[in-house]
Amino acid sequence: MSLVNLAHVCSHLQNATKARLGITSIPVSKLHVALMLGLQKQGFISSVTLGGPTPPTPFLLQAKQSIEASAEHLSQEPWDAFPEPDQTRESPIKDEVYEVDVPQNPGKRRLWLGLKYWNNEPVLSKMKLESKPTKRIWLNSEALGRIVRGRESSFIKGLTRPGECLFVSTDRGIMEARECAEKKIGGMVLCRVL
Amino acid sequence: MSVCRPARCLLSKTSPLPKPSPHHLRTFHTTPCRNARRRPHYPNIKASDLNLLKTQAAENYPAYKPDDEALLAKKYTPSQIAAIKAAEAAIDPLDLVTQSSYRTDPWRLPYEDDLATVDPIIDHAPKLHGVPGNGKFWEATPAERDAAIEQVANEQIAKLYPNGFPENPSDDEKSKIREAMEAVMMHAYMDPRTTFFSDSKEVMDSMVDPRHSAVLQELPRIDSRVVRATATTQNKEEEDPRVKATLLKLGWTQQQLRQQTKVKCLIQHAVVNQTRMGKIRSMYYLSIAGNGNGLLGVGEGKSTEPEEGRRQSINAAIRNMKPIPRYEARTIYGEVEKKVGAVRVQLSSRPPGFGLRVQHLIFEMARLAGLQDLAARVPRSRNKMNVVKATWEALMGQKLPEDIARARGKKLVDVRRVYYGTSVH
Repeated sequence: MSLVNLAHVCSHLQNATKARLGITSIPVSKLHVALMLGLQKQGFISSVTLGGPTPPTPFLLQAKQSIEASAEHLSQEPWDAFPEPDQTRESPIKDEVYEVDVPQNPGKRRLWLGLKYWNNEPVLSKMKLESKPTKRIWLNSEALGRIVRGRESSFIKGLTRPGECLFVSTDRGIMEARECAEKKIGGMVLCRVL
Repeated sequence: MSVCRPARCLLSKTSPLPKPSPHHLRTFHTTPCRNARRRPHYPNIKASDLNLLKTQAAENYPAYKPDDEALLAKKYTPSQIAAIKAAEAAIDPLDLVTQSSYRTDPWRLPYEDDLATVDPIIDHAPKLHGVPGNGKFWEATPAERDAAIEQVANEQIAKLYPNGFPENPSDDEKSKIREAMEAVMMHAYMDPRTTFFSDSKEVMDSMVDPRHSAVLQELPRIDSRVVRATATTQNKEEEDPRVKATLLKLGWTQQQLRQQTKVKCLIQHAVVNQTRMGKIRSMYYLSIAGNGNGLLGVGEGKSTEPEEGRRQSINAAIRNMKPIPRYEARTIYGEVEKKVGAVRVQLSSRPPGFGLRVQHLIFEMARLAGLQDLAARVPRSRNKMNVVKATWEALMGQKLPEDIARARGKKLVDVRRVYYGTSVH
């Protein structure tokens, strides 16, 4: 559970959104996967995919085209160039299982993240480590409750900005601070995301 | 010098003497010698030789013809005609052409006029002196007074209702007639004819003649295109076209703008531009404008004329007025931080009743924007201009919960609003 690597991930995500990247990759670790799934749950990133050194093919591009219209067929029935939308067919993302190339060598695996933008601004604009590798901070549920209400507690500033999130590593996995306060569980503070 | 020489010169026709050349003459004085009189290359012809002026004078000021004299005789007496002819003869028409001209001095009349007629606008009305008729009037006795009041009232009623009172008047018309009667009676009491009386009709008429009044007559109202054009340009303030556009955008009139917006000049100082001509001093102004209910604008202005610069800044502030997102119409959404130059401004929302615990510049801005609960810190530099600009940008750059919800695809709920229901707006 290296917070150094997490710090690198934080700054990498900030840089990637500043550069308006569509997808980016981070090293794979249990902590990273859990935190990124937490971020996805909070809506900061769009997708979390395990992959290799090359980015995985987007799901929409993996969907097979049902009608392969040949030139001959089109010359006879040109309207088939624009097939009617099939209402009975369900969304391709839900049902079909896609193949993702995950290298056998764990060292070559990367976690690919889809970044989100809205109104020409990144959805995830700031991500900062709160516990430091040399000073980890554990909070109980009361302290977390104070922080969630916008007060400072245990050297952690309150969540005063709209939409600010604090991720906490607990014995029940990585959770958002509000969730922790609700469930009355404490844990180690990881990072603050805005 | 021999005496015979001039005689010889006179007598000799073909003079053997060489022409004196100016270059070889010895000069006995320092004044440069004038050469022989320079003759023009082309001969000048005098106007008098051509008789042009005389013909022009004869055209412009012709003598009376027998027809004109007959016309004159109809209007004037023979003695007057004789006087006119004498006056005409006294002035040479040539002098009129050569010497008379339009005045160009600053004291000339501003209009062309031979002063024969009374202009109702430019000239004073002729004031009449003395009382016409037999000139006798006295203070009216009660009987005379009542008669005069009756007469004046009848005159006024006849003016108001030339066709007589309407038959079977409605309630509305009745009240109008009552009002008219009151006005007429008041007019009658104020009329001088009810105070003074005379047996002469001329004296009575002169009492209401405005020419006899000690008060100067009102100028007649003239309605023409020119008058309207000049009146509008003089009376109306010239409007900034950009302010006009703002009014159009807001859907306000000029009056509404004046009533609803408050303007405050926050910063003013002198600035100097160093040119090759020297230092040019100007005044810099920074103003804010707001309606105290969510609109705020910041404008800058600079001019060598202080008043001009001030007006520029105020107009710019009004133009820049924009709605500022306010939480519950009293404070801001969460914490905002903005940096302009070396100035960092941190604004944070506060609970109801907290008040504006901020520095003076931010206080003025918050007041005009209609913010009631606010805390602010300016931890670094406190340059006034940049404080105002950073505050303005911070207020405009708030992240709204709705936007965050749309961006993250999550539902965000305002807990305060849910808890207090509709009692919080």
